[in-house]
Amino acid sequence: MAELQDIDFTLEYPYTRTTGPIIGPFLTGLRDGRILATKVGDRVICPPLEYDPDTGATVGPENLVEVGPAGEVTGWTWVTRPTSKHPFEHPFAFAQIKLDGADTTMLHVVDAGSEDAMSTGMRVVVRFRSERLGTINDVYFVPGDEPPEAPEVDDDAEPVTITEHLIGVRIREPLQPHRRRFAEGLLAGKIIGQRSPADGKVHVPSRGYDATNRVPMTSEHDVEVADVGTVTSFTEIVPVQYHGQTETEPYIRCSVLLDGADTTVGGIDIRDISVEDFRVGMRLQMVWRDSGDRMGDLDNRGYGLNEEVYERWEPTGEPDVDPESLKEHNF
Amino acid sequence: MSQSTQPAQSPQSGSAQPQRHENDIAIVGFAQTDAHVRYDGPEVVLIMECVNALLAGAGIERHDIDFTIAGSCDYLSGMPFAFVSNVDGMGAWPPVYESHVEMDGAWALFEAWLRLQMGDIDVAMVVGSGKSSPCNAREVFHLQADPYAVAPLGLDPDAMAGIAARSLIESRKATETEIAEVVARSYQAAASNPHAQIRSTASVEELLAAPYDMAPLRAHDVSPKADGAAALLIARRDRARELTDSPVWITGLDHRIESHHAGLRDLTDSQSTRTAAAGSGVADGAVDVAELHVTHAHEEIILRNALNLNPSTAVNPSGGPLAGDPVMATGLVRVVEVARRIAAGEAGRGVAHASSGAALQQNLLCVLQGGA
Repeated sequence: MAELQDIDFTLEYPYTRTTGPIIGPFLTGLRDGRILATKVGDRVICPPLEYDPDTGATVGPENLVEVGPAGEVTGWTWVTRPTSKHPFEHPFAFAQIKLDGADTTMLHVVDAGSEDAMSTGMRVVVRFRSERLGTINDVYFVPGDEPPEAPEVDDDAEPVTITEHLIGVRIREPLQPHRRRFAEGLLAGKIIGQRSPADGKVHVPSRGYDATNRVPMTSEHDVEVADVGTVTSFTEIVPVQYHGQTETEPYIRCSVLLDGADTTVGGIDIRDISVEDFRVGMRLQMVWRDSGDRMGDLDNRGYGLNEEVYERWEPTGEPDVDPESLKEHNF
Repeated sequence: MSQSTQPAQSPQSGSAQPQRHENDIAIVGFAQTDAHVRYDGPEVVLIMECVNALLAGAGIERHDIDFTIAGSCDYLSGMPFAFVSNVDGMGAWPPVYESHVEMDGAWALFEAWLRLQMGDIDVAMVVGSGKSSPCNAREVFHLQADPYAVAPLGLDPDAMAGIAARSLIESRKATETEIAEVVARSYQAAASNPHAQIRSTASVEELLAAPYDMAPLRAHDVSPKADGAAALLIARRDRARELTDSPVWITGLDHRIESHHAGLRDLTDSQSTRTAAAGSGVADGAVDVAELHVTHAHEEIILRNALNLNPSTAVNPSGGPLAGDPVMATGLVRVVEVARRIAAGEAGRGVAHASSGAALQQNLLCVLQGGA
């Protein structure tokens, strides 16, 4: 029988942001080998802002001035154990750096080698990475004053008007107790629901609680229900092609009220019954995979069945259930 | 660099026993879960257990509540729209005006407090919850930073706290020993808090002997992230008096934010806390108890100074977040802890503080007072 694994996945969102009239030139500058700031009144602000922080007045590109490439560390911390989001895999410093010509500090990283090389008041100077994409990570700082070599610049490159930031969170956790019992049941060829102690209704798959009555449910509320049920609603999905889409042919997605249950199982996909023959009230039987072929691919996030445990659903041939009697279950 | 619009403040504040206005709002019930290192079940059940305890304690039913609001963060559990499922824990039936903030529950309290002052409804329930154990919170909360100049560096709140702590030490506003004393005191206080996560009797000397992590901070200077929830019931004056003999009045509530550009901030002070303190009337009476949202030990020193607390104020008698940090509920737990002490007659007046963003960027203060 398949082993149930802890959940381990990375949730990612690829953010793209327009850069605007000030951040655009700032990021373009980093790509092309210079650090820009905004001069607002008597103050030079770096990283630059699109506005005067005291008044909110708009600050335009005519206020951009070049600062650096070296400056002074005014505050810092030493990162002994970098996270997956940090620019270095080895220990480094995050620092507030007051670049020459600027009146504010910029937060950035110093690749100092060791904590002993860091001190408040020390001089640091920018370095340009060989691959630069128009982001804050195009540069880093090192101890000292020695100016950087002028980076190779593509004179034909367009200004940076969009910046990309792929964000992601790695999620690791065990299956929640009710999900584990449900998953173990499926691998053993049983569908486990939970009977609410408040009103006796059987929830399948259970979420571990009865939402209507605000009652948590535990293993003592587990009950087995049938692998036979009635279609309560369905739709035909014609797959739209998008990045990651694996479906190519139209199919039916339906909800089934299993015998012995009071909630429907949603998201059941039917690929071998034609939509013309499909109807609310139709009786269906789940056809299990052989026990050795059932997979334990279930997480804490879905509310459906694990489709890796069955081959298909097929009509039982019984007379249809009157759809009127299914009104309570049509969603 | 804090904003300086007219402070939000209730009509009555002060230490004398004032006449209460009909739109004065009181806390009439509170509950919190343990700060779990890892809670096995769904976040919904965590909330449900907290809400059921809240309603049982207050002796009212879900249908007596006119408005519910929660604060939580979907990124922590990696479950898009977790905040929608969470409504199940608060009770989706009967339908009610419902709201959510992607912030600590203390900011949900702010919205509920404003909502009740409209005068058309009487009772609101406020929840803060977080299930942070599935993720590394540092990998989530750097996303609160400026998305162009800071977030892509992965500059998370712990690293920002390290920078701020060094600045505090080098400007001679605190010593490493004083920072360790904050931790030792928090652990001592937490010994009597059944909900706390950390059970430690570490001495200042033992704490100072630990290695640095985000130097000059050490691992124990950073709050231990937990799974947990907190909940409050608040009510307008007349309903509050019906519901309890010991209402805890919200006499002031204000929150302020500082620039996202750290170069424009003084990380050794908390200007936004000073502004919120003026707005909420912290100094209008004695402060018997202060519960502060200290997620990095040196922040207690910054906040004590910004709030101008005198030595007679009990600071974080629960042990505070350094002994258990149920992310997204932690600020609301501060309100619960102060309200609990006032309702029990252990304190007359107190202040609860909540914070959001790196290095105390945004701060909320809730001034509470007992008396019928």
